[in-house]
Amino acid sequence: MSNQLPDGYAVLEPFVDYWAVSGTANRDQRRSDSTPAQRNAFYAIAKDLVPQALAQLDAKPIAELDDKERRLLDLLLSFTHVTHAVEMLTDGEARHAKFRKEMRITRQPAE
Amino acid sequence: MNEHTPIYTAPEEQVAWMGTDPIPAKAYYDPEWFELERRAIFMRTWLEVGHVCELPEPGTWIRRELEFAQASILIVRGKDGQIRAFYNACTHRGTQLVEEESGKGTNFLCPYHFWNFGDDGRLVAAPDFNRFALTKEDCKIPKVSVDTCAGLIFVNLDPAPKQTLREFLGDFADRLETLPVARATTFHEYCYDIDANWKITYDNFQENYHLRHVHGRTGIATVHADNLYGYPTGYTFHGKHRTQTIWSNPEPQIKPMQGYNFGLAAKIGMEQGIIGGPEDRTYFAVFPSLFIIGTPIQHFSHKVYPISATRSRGVFRVYWIGEGDTATKRYAREYALAGIRDIHTEDVNIINRAQKGLLSGAIKNVHFMSMEGLCRHLYQQVVAEVEAYRNESQPAGERA
Ligand code: FES
Ligand SMILES: [Fe+2]
Repeated sequence: MSNQLPDGYAVLEPFVDYWAVSGTANRDQRRSDSTPAQRNAFYAIAKDLVPQALAQLDAKPIAELDDKERRLLDLLLSFTHVTHAVEMLTDGEARHAKFRKEMRITRQPAE
Repeated sequence: MNEHTPIYTAPEEQVAWMGTDPIPAKAYYDPEWFELERRAIFMRTWLEVGHVCELPEPGTWIRRELEFAQASILIVRGKDGQIRAFYNACTHRGTQLVEEESGKGTNFLCPYHFWNFGDDGRLVAAPDFNRFALTKEDCKIPKVSVDTCAGLIFVNLDPAPKQTLREFLGDFADRLETLPVARATTFHEYCYDIDANWKITYDNFQENYHLRHVHGRTGIATVHADNLYGYPTGYTFHGKHRTQTIWSNPEPQIKPMQGYNFGLAAKIGMEQGIIGGPEDRTYFAVFPSLFIIGTPIQHFSHKVYPISATRSRGVFRVYWIGEGDTATKRYAREYALAGIRDIHTEDVNIINRAQKGLLSGAIKNVHFMSMEGLCRHLYQQVVAEVEAYRNESQPAGERA
């Protein structure tokens, strides 16, 4: 549970198990299956860490990231989905999630 | 006292020439009318079905299903680098050659009796072939006309197309070539099936009247007191095709991470030289059922495939240039993709209901206001194609 991310991201550890998944379709599914409390907590804590985390991960090509870095990246990628739910859809998210599954993601260029 | 000078004026005069007549609702659900559209348009028009990045090297191929024609098509990049298309059907007794969506290889082996076809559809080998009263040349798979523009692959099911793809696209051809899609190397794709006529489906995406109601949350950045519906700044018409020019809201309401994330995407776009092009705000509507948007971030195509009078299938693709090989690129793409898919999800949901209300036949006409002029243009083009087809297929003496 702890120490799954590079040093300096301990506050994000509680979100790893649920949100650090590979693939656009899986991340979208996590968004759809999550509760407002889960999304709001993730958003509140992650948003200020995004610039620092991206800068750190950009130092290497994606193919060379180690497991902890890769997990941090997956977390950030899930965070983009959560951002849409929290900032844009707000209380319309539950209804939107129902329709969203009809829009099948059929190709994702990278995991 | 200060008079407020509106920052937006609707381009009413650009659509006035099409008139204001009500539109017969039957055109949006009647199977007989659909059958005419199918024959007059879809069976003999250039249709976009893919992108050259799906055929990255000689010996790669993709399969495409065109339900309106009950046709499965193989599009192949041959050993010589040429792109060819032919039916996914064996000339022995018709068996489909492949079930996979895409693959690699320069031969297609029919699983039934092992006829083996080359990358140009020619029969190259067949077991015990001398028992047939045939030559191998007789057994070539019927070809499908195929050509590309801006990296997009188009096919035409007419055995002898009346126009080349370039002639069909007219001045759109050169303009599309300036878009990022022409340089794209990869894409995200999302698809939907819908119980709706192809024109009802397509029309939703060529009017902004619904924007405020259907995209009240997701489309907030496009709403301004002077342009509550985010109407375009202009419309143009090019034969059967049309464009709208997307309005730029000078005072958008932007959420914190939304602003940050689009900033990242804009920076990447600048580095790739895809921002600030001549078509940045152009939304191309290519007859009969393709859209391609010029905006370089969330650069998407959308194809509506008709299946029946009241059933369609849609394919969205968001195109990218180069691999997402850094964390920031991957992050910016994921955000852009999820956002545009959210908006399109809302569209598909409302289109279902638009179709249901028409099916009883109680609604005799539908109405397009001026800012739905592109929908009117599509209807008028469809009618013109159907009329032309009827005139061609009637004996000369019976023509009106
Ligand atoms: S049907 Fe293809 S080889 Fe017989
Ligand atoms: Fe819409």
